[in-house]
Amino acid sequence: MTDILKKEMNLSASVLSYLFIAFGFMFFIPGYPILCGVFFVTLGIFQSFQNAREANDIVFSALLPIAKRDVVKGKFLFSCFIELCSFVLMAVAVMLRMTVFSEAAVYRDNALMNANLFALGMALLIFGLFNVIFIGGFFKTAYKFGKPFVLYIIAAFLTIGIGEALHHFPGLEMLNAFGFEHIVLQLGSFGTGALCYVIMTLFSYRRACEHFEMIDL
Amino acid sequence: MSIVTVRDLVKEYPAFRLNSVSFSLEAGRISGFIGRNGAGKTTTIKSMLNLVHPDSGEIYFFDKPLSEYETEIKKRIGYSTGTVNWYPRKKIRDIAEVVKCFYDTWDEEAYRRYLAMFRLDEDKTPLELSEGMKVKCNLLLALSHKAEILILDEPTSGLDPFSRDELLELFIELKKTGVAIFFSTHIISDIEKCADDIIYISGGKIIAAMPKADFANRFSINGENLEQTFLRLERGVQND
Repeated sequence: MTDILKKEMNLSASVLSYLFIAFGFMFFIPGYPILCGVFFVTLGIFQSFQNAREANDIVFSALLPIAKRDVVKGKFLFSCFIELCSFVLMAVAVMLRMTVFSEAAVYRDNALMNANLFALGMALLIFGLFNVIFIGGFFKTAYKFGKPFVLYIIAAFLTIGIGEALHHFPGLEMLNAFGFEHIVLQLGSFGTGALCYVIMTLFSYRRACEHFEMIDL
Repeated sequence: MSIVTVRDLVKEYPAFRLNSVSFSLEAGRISGFIGRNGAGKTTTIKSMLNLVHPDSGEIYFFDKPLSEYETEIKKRIGYSTGTVNWYPRKKIRDIAEVVKCFYDTWDEEAYRRYLAMFRLDEDKTPLELSEGMKVKCNLLLALSHKAEILILDEPTSGLDPFSRDELLELFIELKKTGVAIFFSTHIISDIEKCADDIIYISGGKIIAAMPKADFANRFSINGENLEQTFLRLERGVQND
């Protein structure tokens, strides 16, 4: 497992994938749709897929003494690694905004969604969408990534829009909780996002393995 | 003793059919796989590497089916292509660093030896190499993990006559150590120089798979050389 991840990180990855991890810090920006930071992180991962295709990485990997499903596993491991690195930055930002900055006027007077545990759950949901729609779509051919990426963009921005708008609907205001307000709801929404991420990623990985096994390279 | 057996391999494409391809390869022998462009050489080689899924047929390496023992088998084979360019902007050193992790049989001394023999600079990227040097770069990786069989898709294409000669001499040295070499080519003089066996494919069908001497006895007429024989056979096949 570590060998294929090492290959992904040293040979296949674009440096942008690593740099774009820093977009996780967008959770600090006031008056900005913070979930766009999640999209930018996935845009960085997309650059690695582009890089890999130009370098004939998939065929190279398939020729290594590993099972074909390990080629798929490498891509998922790398993507999850980048996603979780940026998630850590987002989580740090959320923790600080829930504690030290919970009363900061610049965050309180904000029409857009607050960076709380619900936002972290939404971030994981968007990462899950990337893993299902883009990575899963890519492995239907192991070559074409334009259509899966466009579909992912649509799904991601719809999700961002819904996430940003939900707390404006009557009865859903508590989704924009500050600090530790409505903590059970916050934890519940975060847990749901995390569960969605795990289920979507595992589902996509299995489907991608099945598809990749059938492809002629 | 056969270390590779390909039996009744069939792969159907809309405009091409690999038709019941069968042959075997033996340890310590060099087999030249010859055929014109589009004859089915690459499809056969890709099937042997599990990159292409045959519609039917069996492939065994070391008496083990490829479909069940893919990982184990791939550790014991080396592959190189003369045309594909891996990671064009990565240094050879970095590519080798990663590749060696996958082979517990990686031989650092052999790697250094071939690096010097091929006059490759580890700090160069494939993008900076000529076509011939790219072939050598691929061969370097294939030769550095003590492969028992080398499957080489047009390894001599793009090489200058001196490098080609060097490479063919290397094949002869390797076969003395028991390595089986299977290489596709359309350069008939390569086969004349070093092949022990000829596997001739035309229109997706194996026309002959036999020792070179037997091939000449069976197919060559009136003192023809191999090139003349192949040209005549190919025209005959095309006219059928």
